[in-house]
Amino acid sequence: MNVHDEMSDHEVLRTASGSLSALPVASPPAVDSIVARGRARRTRRLSAVAGLSMTAAAAGTALILGLTGVLGPASARAPGTIRTAAFTLVGNANGTATLTLNPGELLNPAALQSDLQSYGIPAMVTSGSICSSDPAPAGFSQVVSVSPAGQVTATPHNGIKPTITIDPSGMPAGTELSVGYFQLSSGEYSGQQQADVVLIDTGSYTCSSTPPDPNGLPAGYGPDDGIGLLYGGPGPGGS
Amino acid sequence: MSNWHNNRHGSREAEFADFFRASWEPCLRAVVAVAGSPQLAEDQVAEAFARAWASWRKVRRHPAPRAWVVRTALNAGASWWRRRGRELPLADHDLAVPGDLDGGLDATLLTAIWRLPARQREVIALRIFLDLDTATIAGQLGIEVGTVRMHMSRGVSALRRELTPTTNLEAGQ
Repeated sequence: MNVHDEMSDHEVLRTASGSLSALPVASPPAVDSIVARGRARRTRRLSAVAGLSMTAAAAGTALILGLTGVLGPASARAPGTIRTAAFTLVGNANGTATLTLNPGELLNPAALQSDLQSYGIPAMVTSGSICSSDPAPAGFSQVVSVSPAGQVTATPHNGIKPTITIDPSGMPAGTELSVGYFQLSSGEYSGQQQADVVLIDTGSYTCSSTPPDPNGLPAGYGPDDGIGLLYGGPGPGGS
Repeated sequence: MSNWHNNRHGSREAEFADFFRASWEPCLRAVVAVAGSPQLAEDQVAEAFARAWASWRKVRRHPAPRAWVVRTALNAGASWWRRRGRELPLADHDLAVPGDLDGGLDATLLTAIWRLPARQREVIALRIFLDLDTATIAGQLGIEVGTVRMHMSRGVSALRRELTPTTNLEAGQ
């Protein structure tokens, strides 16, 4: 009898599993040691390089971006720099990081969060919701700055690219950036996209699916406590 | 406002602890299957879990968190594997079948598994220990579903060939 003909793929895998399972392996270490190791790693990352997050326009300000593209997947990476169709993220020598947005492309929130985290930037990028803390942590203006300042219309055609610089060393302990991204479906800016960046307390925050006022920030956040970005599109100032 | 929900640091740590305890062994065995070194794999998996905790908000929403850990562990050892050629079988001197398994079917299969090309080992390990379907494996490895099937088929065929003479020999004894 030829066993080769009789053994199904499932049987082969089951036998292989049995052999691999016969190998003695170490018991799990104490979870506390893993958590401590993870915290140390996160602390090292925070003290090493930089952060950033998306978006532009000082609170109470709106950048109107004309967006005609589709979600831009990550395309290329080099040490210290992340380039995607929608943004470029550069770690600076002084520990800050600079995010330059391309108004011609839509941001992919999941990709942005992943890229931020790969840089060791504590940021939570959510699509269709924004997280905030009550009270709002202080110190945002020491962490994030945007250029050009003021209300600017940035479109794929006028060459203006919002640039956001983040200094993670200025982030208060126990905080991270919250980036809320929305596709607006009603109101004056229907059809456009909105992103808001604020600081949150990592130990206590809530999330809402209701976008903040396009020219404002989440409830409880003052003008200096965050930035808001309104992505133009087919609407006013979009292109 | 609508759809408010609360998140608390303490509950996240408890959630991670549950995940860690339940996932340590399958993740470690999957990495051992690919790396061929339990000692090396242990440190890499520990590092991967530490990274998982550091990025728990992301990992907990991952469609296959254990696969994230395994991939992270493998990436952590990438330089080690690159020195040996990630897409090549492990060299004979890399094989480390424990002495108490010498000569048996387990030792034969372990040797056969570790002689498979790395991608075939990865595909088989993700199927065996993480119980991932073909589409999920493809997503984790960043390759096409058809490519996963090809690696799986070739790997299983190679293992089947190793099993045949051993099984026949045992049957004739």
